[in-house]
Amino acid sequence: MIALLPVIVILGSGVAFLIASVALVRRSERRLSTGPDEPGSSVAPGQTGAPEISAYLDRMTAELRLPAADVAEVRAELADHLRDSIASLEAEGFETERAIREALGRLGPPAELGRQLRVAHQSTRRLLAGAGGGVFAAGGGFVLGYLGGIVLAMLGFLAVSALVALLAAVGVHLPGIFGDDDGATVNSLLYATTILVATAVATRYAVRTSAGLSRRAPRTVAVFWAVAGALVFGWLAIFEMRGPQSWPSVGLELCIPVVAVAAAFVRIERPMPHVGRWAVVVSVVSLVVLVLGVYAVNVSVSSTSGSAPLSSLVVCSAPDQSTSCQPDFHLETVAPMAPAAWLPEGFPMNGGSNSFGASGASIDDQFGSGQSALSVAAILSNWTDVRFEAWHALPMNEPGPGGIDTRYSSPFAVQPAVSSGSHLTAVFHFERLRDASPWWVVLTAVGPDGHRYLLDGGQGGSSDFNGSAWDWLTAPQ
Amino acid sequence: MGGRIRTQLLKGTTTLLVLTVLRDGELYGYEIAQRISERSSGAFAPSEGSLYPALHALEADGALQASWRESDRGPRRRYYKITKTGLGMLEEHANEWATFSRGMARAVGGTNQQ
Repeated sequence: MIALLPVIVILGSGVAFLIASVALVRRSERRLSTGPDEPGSSVAPGQTGAPEISAYLDRMTAELRLPAADVAEVRAELADHLRDSIASLEAEGFETERAIREALGRLGPPAELGRQLRVAHQSTRRLLAGAGGGVFAAGGGFVLGYLGGIVLAMLGFLAVSALVALLAAVGVHLPGIFGDDDGATVNSLLYATTILVATAVATRYAVRTSAGLSRRAPRTVAVFWAVAGALVFGWLAIFEMRGPQSWPSVGLELCIPVVAVAAAFVRIERPMPHVGRWAVVVSVVSLVVLVLGVYAVNVSVSSTSGSAPLSSLVVCSAPDQSTSCQPDFHLETVAPMAPAAWLPEGFPMNGGSNSFGASGASIDDQFGSGQSALSVAAILSNWTDVRFEAWHALPMNEPGPGGIDTRYSSPFAVQPAVSSGSHLTAVFHFERLRDASPWWVVLTAVGPDGHRYLLDGGQGGSSDFNGSAWDWLTAPQ
Repeated sequence: MGGRIRTQLLKGTTTLLVLTVLRDGELYGYEIAQRISERSSGAFAPSEGSLYPALHALEADGALQASWRESDRGPRRRYYKITKTGLGMLEEHANEWATFSRGMARAVGGTNQQ
């Protein structure tokens, strides 16, 4: 129980924060819209008596630039005042028309009155409250939008999947746009969609709340929040959202600052939609059902089809004529095999390995004979410019042995091999290269005759681009 | 000429006058103007154009609380009630005014009382 205390505290704080931010937004919404309890209905221009009074109030209102509820209150109050004032003047013997002119004259020029009332309402204290409340509401809006975005993204994903399946059933096959098959890009698309929705809700919450609290028209404060939203969420989207990337996901992430600006302006005068209790319950249930459904589908798919782990890929060495070298990996595309006469007895290597992570794909080849490791310096004393070359490879999931994609005539990345005892190593940052996957890495060197030869048939693998949208845009091909 | 001097004197005193009449109870805008005029026997009648900005500014500062209620005669009206903040502000303004008026009386009367 004590161990769960931090979790309970964090969850409780989160829920309290969301409830507080929603309450703040609702309070502000009441200020921005004239509800049934507001006095606005009693001050419709047609009900203020003479047309001069309506015209005066209209000119005064034009200068107010306040939320709707404030405008309605001011109009109602001044209409009441004029009614009393005119009645009093008429009691003193004024004719109605003269009484109206006199009453309006006592209030002064309408534009000046409107300006003074605006200044009175828009105090510095309220401005600070609006700024603070806007930030607070934006935080709550981001969390709520994130949760809603997950539901929307999942629904969208299921809808697209169903459409693709339907089209495939009738013989229409859509071209693949993701470039890989492991779902990483789909995940990044779903994530970007979620942030997109969260950004829209957060910006809208900020504008509406700060407008209500600072007593300013939403369109007036929208400029500030549009700039702030575009900068903050734009930075988040372009530089801080890291993960697998593709052109569709990068495109969505670049839309995030645009969405912040649009959410601050487009139909900002309209009230926020009321999210009822049942809508929340239905959303949560839908989310749980969706997650369980996707999980069930994944389990089903993984039990019926498998993919070969990278470590099982064949490591083929030049002079090795064993069965492991039988598949044609199109290695002749790289360079001729190194003549066995130029390599000492004890070659080939014991094996190779690769490992992948955010820090790059580490390629490690070990030289040896049987169980004994051989010194790289001793083996390659007649060879120069020993290097690992990364080539585009054939897709791993297609029939056939795979290997190098013969449409390419040169490697897309080269790293000098670093020797350490019996090992040659290099690190490739495939996660920062666009379209690098699948890849095939071979070991080559320049022989005694000055020509480059293939020393190791190498190994293949696939690794997703892993970085921000900025990393993607600035990545070398 | 006398009216202009009175207008100048009234400038800056609207807040004090409003808070003073509201100390006795809730009133709406037109009543406030009337009550100020009555209490000063017609000597002070704040410009109606400056009364409402002053009322709304005091409300924004938390000195007044406004609420819409049915009135004895006619439609709903916006009533103002002085708050604790407003009472504190009234005391402060009243002290300032007392100091100012004593000094002004001494200066205009030509006496030099200690």
